[in-house]
Amino acid sequence: MTTLKITKGEEKGKLQLEEQEPEMAAWGTDAALAVVGQRHPRLEAIEKVTGRAQYSSDVRLPRQLYATVLRSPHPHATVAAIDIAAAEVLPGVHAVICAENTEPIPWYHGSFVFDRTVRLIGDEVAAVAAESEEIAADALRLIEVTYEPLTHVVSMDAAQAPGAPKVRDEGNVAGEPKVYSRGDPDEGLRQAEVMIDRTYTTQSALHNSLEPHGCTAAWDGQTLTLWDSTQSIFTVREQVAQALGLPEHRVRVIKQHMGGGFGAKQISWKQDVIAALLAQRSGRPVQLMLDREAENLVVGNRPVSRQRVRLGATRDGTLTAIDADITQGIGAYMTGGEASNVSGMYQTLYRCDNVRTVQTPLYTNLNPGVAFRAPGHVEAAWALEQAMDELARELGIDPIELRLRNYSETEQLEEKPYTLPEGLRLSYERVREAFGWDTRERPAGEGRVRRGVGFAAHDWVGGSGSPPGYAWIELNADGTADVVTGTQDIGTGTRTGLAQVAAEELGLPLEDVSLHLGDTSTGPYSPVSSGSATQATLGPAIRAAAIEVRSQLLQIASTAMEIPVPRLSVRQGKVLVDGDERRSTPVKEIMRQVAPHTLHGQGARGANPTEKVARTFGAQIVELEVDTETGEVTVLRVVTAHDCGRIVNPTMVDSQVIGGITQGIGFALTEERVVDDRLGLVLNANMEEYKVPTIADVPPIEHAAVDVPDPEANPTGAKGIGEPPLVPTAPAIANAVFDAVGIRVLDAPISRHRLLDLLTTQREHAS
Amino acid sequence: MRPFAYSRPETIEEAIALLDSDARLLAGGTDLLTLMKGDIVAPAHLVDLKRLPDLDDVIDLEEGTVSIGALSTLAQLETDPLIAMHLPALAQAAAVAATPQLRNMATIGGNVLQRPRCWYFRNDDVHCWLKGGEECFAREGDNRYHAVFGESRCVAVHPSDLASVLVAYGATVHYRDSGGVQQIGIEDFFSPPTEGRRTEHVLPAEAVITRVTVPMTADGARSRYVKAMDRKVWAFALAGAAAVVVVDEGVVRDARIVLSGVATVPWRARAAEQALIGATAGPEAFAQAAEIAAADAVPLAHNGYKVPLVTAMVRRALAEAGV
Repeated sequence: MTTLKITKGEEKGKLQLEEQEPEMAAWGTDAALAVVGQRHPRLEAIEKVTGRAQYSSDVRLPRQLYATVLRSPHPHATVAAIDIAAAEVLPGVHAVICAENTEPIPWYHGSFVFDRTVRLIGDEVAAVAAESEEIAADALRLIEVTYEPLTHVVSMDAAQAPGAPKVRDEGNVAGEPKVYSRGDPDEGLRQAEVMIDRTYTTQSALHNSLEPHGCTAAWDGQTLTLWDSTQSIFTVREQVAQALGLPEHRVRVIKQHMGGGFGAKQISWKQDVIAALLAQRSGRPVQLMLDREAENLVVGNRPVSRQRVRLGATRDGTLTAIDADITQGIGAYMTGGEASNVSGMYQTLYRCDNVRTVQTPLYTNLNPGVAFRAPGHVEAAWALEQAMDELARELGIDPIELRLRNYSETEQLEEKPYTLPEGLRLSYERVREAFGWDTRERPAGEGRVRRGVGFAAHDWVGGSGSPPGYAWIELNADGTADVVTGTQDIGTGTRTGLAQVAAEELGLPLEDVSLHLGDTSTGPYSPVSSGSATQATLGPAIRAAAIEVRSQLLQIASTAMEIPVPRLSVRQGKVLVDGDERRSTPVKEIMRQVAPHTLHGQGARGANPTEKVARTFGAQIVELEVDTETGEVTVLRVVTAHDCGRIVNPTMVDSQVIGGITQGIGFALTEERVVDDRLGLVLNANMEEYKVPTIADVPPIEHAAVDVPDPEANPTGAKGIGEPPLVPTAPAIANAVFDAVGIRVLDAPISRHRLLDLLTTQREHAS
Repeated sequence: MRPFAYSRPETIEEAIALLDSDARLLAGGTDLLTLMKGDIVAPAHLVDLKRLPDLDDVIDLEEGTVSIGALSTLAQLETDPLIAMHLPALAQAAAVAATPQLRNMATIGGNVLQRPRCWYFRNDDVHCWLKGGEECFAREGDNRYHAVFGESRCVAVHPSDLASVLVAYGATVHYRDSGGVQQIGIEDFFSPPTEGRRTEHVLPAEAVITRVTVPMTADGARSRYVKAMDRKVWAFALAGAAAVVVVDEGVVRDARIVLSGVATVPWRARAAEQALIGATAGPEAFAQAAEIAAADAVPLAHNGYKVPLVTAMVRRALAEAGV
């Protein structure tokens, strides 16, 4: 049973509620587990590989219409007039909406779903629902819009220039700069015997999930159902209900299978509301999937950053100061979801008494920034981990040794110990050993093709779980179990990992457990799938529900078998008797005796620890070759180690490692949104010119698993792995490039043209 | 995509009769359909050539030439034994173009007619000079992928890898129009766009390519195509080089060097060829020719890197062809 702890919150009008989990022994290092920790393919693997799994664009409802959106061709303009008359009468068109015929619905901060001011190329101006996508597209061409163009800014420099055009009425600085300081950073820099002072930049990366954003909206009387491509069915429910003035129980959001989100689907975007409005107007279900161009123009990106980093250290490698001045270009709007907190890693990764970070977000006339797999940390790692590499070289200290000399066993913002203070150290040790760091050959250094190795570390604020989150379990009369949560599987294997936790605690084989998720009308509240938190948030809630069910089962078994409860346990579908193997009885036989009664448990995720802080950590080593004549970088090998607590399913974790590093290689070498400043136009909002890595670009990836439970983080000892593997990849590649050719690439990505320019400059300096 | 009429004529004469300025020929469709879906072109009429009995995908030897039917796919060129034996650089170029899926669809006839991948040209919000507008937006915009040679109003580069190899081998394009069977040397076929003709080739609108013939190279000829890309596969050339060299007793007797990804058409490095002819085949001569190949490049603001890349590609093509 869940008990509640209720206290007055610090904020007026808010109470602090903590669900207290039932007594359960945390699964520590010595826990003997049968299902958790085993490799298992995804439970829905067959549906996916046979094409039967239904993604958002697969939804087909009777009389369904298809919608498409008219988007602004101007980066900044006033919409003076819209004439939809010709579009409305086109045969096959069922609804046309725009600012002229809808109530203004607030969206973003201080804007509307259809705003009279458009602030980026791609902003929504009107939408059409028709019997086919082709008819809808024809109708868009019949809409006449009169724009009055305004001046625009797309680069951070332009946004900061005196007299710059204002993206928003309040100016181009989005809110107040975020300032953090501890100790005396100026004094720390003065005391430094060695200083690194560099300015790094990172590009805007586009998520490019295989499945674009989109949904199908259908009304049944007063109830709206949305089949939505989202990382958070409950966030979409809340935002859409609010936008349309509906009570939350009249909005149902469903997400069963997901073709990637990577952070861009943490929130509801305009198409959810637009589809719902079109469905209402037309009286028919409406599907609105974004095409690839829209996907890359309007629904988020990793914000660009510029980071001036100063590190001070003594000759023995002790950091005396860390100072980072960070500017971000966040696009035209502030969105919700996880913030891209670039400052965070500067504050926590290394032990340092004197730290200052200033983070200034700037508005530009571009796609709003949104979380992207380890938001902020990927950007920060590019700068901090290169600066640490430079410092190590300057001091003549091995880069791993330098990091060990600045090791922090406490989270320095709160000055509380980590739940697993050795997590990062174990990552260093595992990756160092698995790569053979100490016995590596020194690169030759003279030929046309040069080889280099690079190291980078990281921490991650996520992975530790974000209460609240709830789960229900029903043990059926035939001894099988239905487990229900309101989370969603965003492609990471959540269904499988959570089912393993349920099977473990219920004492059932995995095939006797069904895990239901992704439907706000049938599952209890669960938070957004973000921050690599889902397993660590819901695993304990499912354990708690399972403990309740198991306790009821054992009471029944005790009566049925005439053996006291303390001598009974459940494992692999059988009730076992301590000291008497012959009397073990299948669960289904016990349950048959009480049929048609079924057993019910409910669990809630308890609060995170208060005296300690749970975090995730990792370290990575890259080996690569650089062709000094052509600027071609070939990544040969990546070895990685991560403290993600207990590994619930090694297959799923390896998949996250491979996927994250693949994205990291793209971020390091080829992925970059390119914008024409004068036109305010994204030039590569497509998969041809926006270059994600292909299979040929990805080398063998070796996961040197740490796999040490973190039972103080939560009772399953498991933390998250979704985001971390991406974080150190790009700086490890940059450090390896330096190792190979002696060029420090400050601006990401290390594209062919950038590296060739730098190689040419190097050659000119040498001669 | 806008509505269009579709026809599948029975004879080549019928096909030619259907052609006018609003009609387009459809073979593999790998370029045309992307242009239509991107709303860059909107033909009123598509004339499907794939089942035309007069067109084929036969690759054959005929009197000292290799004849390649216009419907031959890039996948065929990549794997055909005759091509591998007589025109290896063509197989190499096909193998590094696009992806297997695209190579299974794309034909050689369509390949030489494909339009540039310039990201201004391909954006339907940009009315650039090549599409009949007044301005080349790439010239002052982001031109990292654009031309370093030539004097066209347009600075887009020709996207084909095969085209450079065909120029290097001295191929001939055969086509039919209302006047009957015609042919044109490939070097004359490609021509920078002009005020009056904003295409990269001179094929009349009312013509159908039937085949491409390539003379078999002289004894002792060796050839190679190399290409630099932003990633390992599936990208257009940042710069590429086709080299055909004839070496006799250690001396270069003839040489053709043609560059990809650097001009509105395949770019012949004539000065480099001249420097090579008569020289002793080897690293020194190849390096010198490679320098000369890039010497008169005029980079734009963002594509200076292509100059050393051209040098590297030419040197590599020669080194790998000439041994």
